[in-house]
Amino acid sequence: MRLSFTIALRALTRNRAHTLINILGLALGLTACLLILLYLRYERSYDSWLPDSDRIYQVQATWHEPGQPITHAQTSPFPVRDTLAGGFPQIESLSVMRNGQTVTTRDGEAIFIDSAIVDPAFFDIFRLPFVHGSAAGALSDTNAIALTEKEAIRHFGTSDVMGRTMSLGAGPGKRDYRIGGVLRDLPKNSSLRFGILFRYDPAEAAGLPASAIGWGNMSQQHYLKLRPGADAHAINAALPAWEKRVVAPQMIGGRAASQADIMDLALVPITGVHLGVAQHGALTPGGDPRALATFVVVALLTLAMAVMNFVNLSTARATQRAREVALRKVLGASRPRIVVQLIGESLMLAALATLLALAAVELLTPWLGGRIGADLEVTYPGIGGLLLPAILLFVASGLLGGLYPALYLSRFRPAQVLRANKSAAETPGNGRLRTILVVVQFAIAIGLIVCTCVIYSQTRHVATVDPGYRRDGLIQIESAWRFAGDSSEYEAARRELLAIPGVVAAGRTNLGLAATNKNILAVRTSGAAQDSAIGYYAVDAEYLRTIDVPLLAGRQLGDRYARDRVVRAEADGAVLQQGAGGFNVVLNRNAVTLLGLGAPQAAIGKTIKVGLDGEDMADATIVGVVEDTRIRTARDALEPIIYGYDPDRTSLVLVRYGGADPAAVMAGINRVWRRFEPEIPFQGHFVEALVAEIYAADRARGALFAAFAAIAVLIACLGLFGLAAFTAERRTKEIGIRKVLGARIRDIVRLLTWQFSKPVVLANLVAWPAAWWAMRDWLNDFDVRVALTPGPFVLAGALALAIAVGTVAGHAIRVARLNPILALRYE
Amino acid sequence: MLSMRELSRVYRTDTIETSALSSISLDIADGEFVAIMGPSGCGKSTLLNIIGMLDSPSSGSYVFNGQEVAGLSEGKLADVRKHNIGFIFQSFNLVDELSVRENIELALLYHDVASTERRRRVDEVMDKVGIAHRAKHRPSQLSGGQQQRVAVARALVGSPKLILADEPTGNLDTHHGEEVMRMLQQLNREGSTIVMVTHSPSHADYAGRVINMLDGQILIEQRRAA
Repeated sequence: MRLSFTIALRALTRNRAHTLINILGLALGLTACLLILLYLRYERSYDSWLPDSDRIYQVQATWHEPGQPITHAQTSPFPVRDTLAGGFPQIESLSVMRNGQTVTTRDGEAIFIDSAIVDPAFFDIFRLPFVHGSAAGALSDTNAIALTEKEAIRHFGTSDVMGRTMSLGAGPGKRDYRIGGVLRDLPKNSSLRFGILFRYDPAEAAGLPASAIGWGNMSQQHYLKLRPGADAHAINAALPAWEKRVVAPQMIGGRAASQADIMDLALVPITGVHLGVAQHGALTPGGDPRALATFVVVALLTLAMAVMNFVNLSTARATQRAREVALRKVLGASRPRIVVQLIGESLMLAALATLLALAAVELLTPWLGGRIGADLEVTYPGIGGLLLPAILLFVASGLLGGLYPALYLSRFRPAQVLRANKSAAETPGNGRLRTILVVVQFAIAIGLIVCTCVIYSQTRHVATVDPGYRRDGLIQIESAWRFAGDSSEYEAARRELLAIPGVVAAGRTNLGLAATNKNILAVRTSGAAQDSAIGYYAVDAEYLRTIDVPLLAGRQLGDRYARDRVVRAEADGAVLQQGAGGFNVVLNRNAVTLLGLGAPQAAIGKTIKVGLDGEDMADATIVGVVEDTRIRTARDALEPIIYGYDPDRTSLVLVRYGGADPAAVMAGINRVWRRFEPEIPFQGHFVEALVAEIYAADRARGALFAAFAAIAVLIACLGLFGLAAFTAERRTKEIGIRKVLGARIRDIVRLLTWQFSKPVVLANLVAWPAAWWAMRDWLNDFDVRVALTPGPFVLAGALALAIAVGTVAGHAIRVARLNPILALRYE
Repeated sequence: MLSMRELSRVYRTDTIETSALSSISLDIADGEFVAIMGPSGCGKSTLLNIIGMLDSPSSGSYVFNGQEVAGLSEGKLADVRKHNIGFIFQSFNLVDELSVRENIELALLYHDVASTERRRRVDEVMDKVGIAHRAKHRPSQLSGGQQQRVAVARALVGSPKLILADEPTGNLDTHHGEEVMRMLQQLNREGSTIVMVTHSPSHADYAGRVINMLDGQILIEQRRAA
């Protein structure tokens, strides 16, 4: 055993370049695998830390309205809280959770705090640990609140704040609350997010309009805990029938319609929320299972490439080792013993690579965690530790890399090897296998380069594609509730905004640019059998001009026309029609097409019916048609939109500026804001930055792909470098002969580089269709996308070829410069 | 054909300086068959390498076909070599991965000869050395004598003015050795200039002139009647 170990160690140290290439390649592959494993486990660990996580469910809703894309939401209708538990006795507890932000003042500055309104049952469902207080008393009445430890320390400098009061809210809603409990901070792998919990007050619903308490109000999550042994599948199977029973049909504009027809409820395990298909209304950014699966595959491919290097270099070295193996056989070693020894060498190498990879993982984990905003932690023992997978990967890579070379080397016949002038190891099949493996390696590398190029160009494309409005020189101010309606405050603030040097326009809306929320209306045209669902934007007269949307036909909405304005009655939500003709609206091109109104000009003057707030439908006359705008991501289809002059519902202000320092404009807006709205923190964003933010995940994915592509190319080149070294050595005699026969250095370099370029060229034939298929699939997710031109494919192929040639050229030049006499004399 | 004056070749390492050739002066005329003999290490292979422009002299003059080649670059030497000189080695130096035909054709690959012309010349030379029936075989499938015939064919296919043979019979049995020598003699009679290094006095007898070397110098030259 000791002798075998010594032999193995010497065999590895004898050819340091070979050993180093193998160890570095394997270490790179293993590092990629282990880091992706950490990331995968982290993504799958969301909410599994919750006690009874196997019994906790979120009620999710899927909406399939005509004319609208299907929406999978983590939110569910308002009445679920009071109806669902009654229909299913398997439910042990149920709580609503309405998320939002509350404000408070600290050191004279207004600040936001993530908040949620929940039922006391919330703590029955989520048995969250308390630092101070307990679940029983935390939300004992509607004046009590529970804080997270972080918020307590942020506001009071200590977590020991039981019984102290905190002034929260703004305007008339501002009041003092008593702190009834301090919760431990939620870990990052949680789909919940809050800093403060308020107690839900059912009495508040009594004063709300019908639309706010109906099945169309999707502004809240619902969580529930099932009784032990209860079957969620059975409940999900029974939910459609339950919906039909419970959701009462509404008369919308004289037609009976039920939300149950366009909505499906389902219980989704809390542990499946983060990676689930429903991400609309998520409290924390959801994971992408497809991207995750892709990265797992890519990491495994990277490791496979390293293992291929091992096989390639080991079989290439067979020429050198054949004599040693033959001698050992002559001295009595059996084939199994030689196989064991050679696999032992491979395992020793894999062990070194694994140690190196674990060290790299330790070093890179904080960096990776920071990049993806995850609490990644390296632990070793147990099911969730890295030790077991590291051992498995070590054994797998060691065995996979060592088995074929061991079986191959150990089959040599001693007599043949020892008698032959040249080694019997160089059989044609051996070289063919190496070529195949090099082709596979470079196919992976080229495929990854193509994917990186396409992802990069698509990310650039969506960031620069014409959105139908002008992104540059535009600032969006959020939480501008104070400026809704016809307040004189807004008029005064607007005058001050326009007085800021560079500011040229300001307008209001209820849905911001790059928004994720929607406001959908039922729209009816004469003769249509079914109502259409169209997005509604409540804007003021300046909004479309401010964001600079081209007018295609008709006119903009404005104060000169009395019927332009949407005027509402009191809290019942019904729309007061202006005389008998209703109100005027502007449609975008897509809405005109969807409603079948013909060309933009033809739509002007036509009247449609819209269910603006409640059951009644109001007449809306089209006075203008504007160009389509891409308000959301490039993944979303262009929306059909109705713009209503409806300043009462606005909550954002858009400011257009030009010819001024953007930072100075932002600072000026901030000053105006603080003068008019001291209680709400200023939230101004450059629209270009907001749009860039929604593609941050795509850019991160692109960067990760680029990193993998770089690793793959590096591993492939390490292998090629090793193979080129061996080949150059093996072909020394041939090169000598060719030089004697008149070959110049460039002829020899061309000969050797072409030998290694052929598999790389061949690899393109494998990589291109696979990459094309994968990228077409990925691009199909986008409504606007780059064309899959030959560019990235040719570029990737050329790049791989250039890298391969560069890797091989060094060896080729060195060998080509050798004096042929030396090569021929010692042959 | 070639003329050497006061030609020396010194090999230097950090600590040792070895003189392989020392002030050699030698003239070889067109159509000569010269055998170089001498004990191992006397410099005969070095002389052959310098004649074949595989090595360069440390000092002295080497005029080949009226052109001074002693100071030429490696590229220029390769050009002169490929158009004028054919080589035959003791260990044949065939490329194992190539067939007989491909090995012979190799010598024309660097001569910018069109493929049809290459094929014609390879066929012609294979017929000449009697190896045409083995055209598709690999060197490992041939006997030593056959391999050396392939090497001779390869040396001939470029129609060189000078054939250099470094112990061409060294790896062959007597029968095959004689066969190769008769082939070289025939080539000489057809006009080829041949310089051959050999240990065998009987094979040296095929040459018109025998040069004996010792310690890097020409000890004695004997001319024989044709």
